[in-house]
Amino acid sequence: MNTVLSRANSLFAFSLSVMAFLTFGCFITTAFKDRSVPVNIHISRVMLKNVDDFTGPRERSDLGFVTFDITADLNPIFDWNVKQLFLYLSAEYATKNNALNQVVLWDKIILRGENTNLSLKDMKSKYFFFDDGSGLRGNKNITLTLSWNVVPNAGILPLVTGSGHISVPFPDSYEMSKNY
Amino acid sequence: MMMLKNLPFVNSINTHMDYKGQKLAEQIFQSIIVASAVAGFIYGFIVEQFGWTVYIVLAGFALSCLLTLPPWPVFRRHPLKWQPSVEAPAETREKQPESVKKSKKHK
Repeated sequence: MNTVLSRANSLFAFSLSVMAFLTFGCFITTAFKDRSVPVNIHISRVMLKNVDDFTGPRERSDLGFVTFDITADLNPIFDWNVKQLFLYLSAEYATKNNALNQVVLWDKIILRGENTNLSLKDMKSKYFFFDDGSGLRGNKNITLTLSWNVVPNAGILPLVTGSGHISVPFPDSYEMSKNY
Repeated sequence: MMMLKNLPFVNSINTHMDYKGQKLAEQIFQSIIVASAVAGFIYGFIVEQFGWTVYIVLAGFALSCLLTLPPWPVFRRHPLKWQPSVEAPAETREKQPESVKKSKKHK
């Protein structure tokens, strides 16, 4: 503390410690918050095809096309420890080969300060809904859920599933037309 | 830093504080930073922007830099009072032979 440099050193070290403590406070004030909100998913159209899957086992596989609407108010999730949300819509179903299949159909990033009121109509999936065989045809229970990753300033990166999901049956026959 | 210290001009700047001044400086910057941290935390929590907390703490940091880094006269009010110097060369001359004897004993 006798020279400018030693004073600057202790001042800087003390400020950094205080800042670290505040960051921990930011984490602890939001750590036990429930970040699940109700989500309303509606499926307007389902189409099923059987096409060559060049990415997978090089056999004909089931390819589903789902058109959906999503409405959700995500504003309660945001607080001072949230930088962005990574939303993703996943389809879950069971087949003979696998007890649980999960396929991500669509995703979206919502940054802090953007419109948090999600209202999407007639959305097409962003990614291919491929099964690894013919497990989609005639499957009576394909469940769509919206989940999100909460990206915080400090602390853990929680994975939250929205309450509210929808289950649809898939058709028993394939669509034969060539246009996708 | 070594480059700076080698310059005679920089070396001639006197930045010391006396002991009471150092204590006062430390108390000042600690209280300013803690106060700005508490204020920033509350304000950031209310407006839900952690960025504001960081800015307010940085403002406290800048203020305390300004107040405690330069050796303001407030921190030099209690200079140390040294004892007047004593004539000593005669004593040291007398002691020299003793030390020579001691070293011989050890051998």
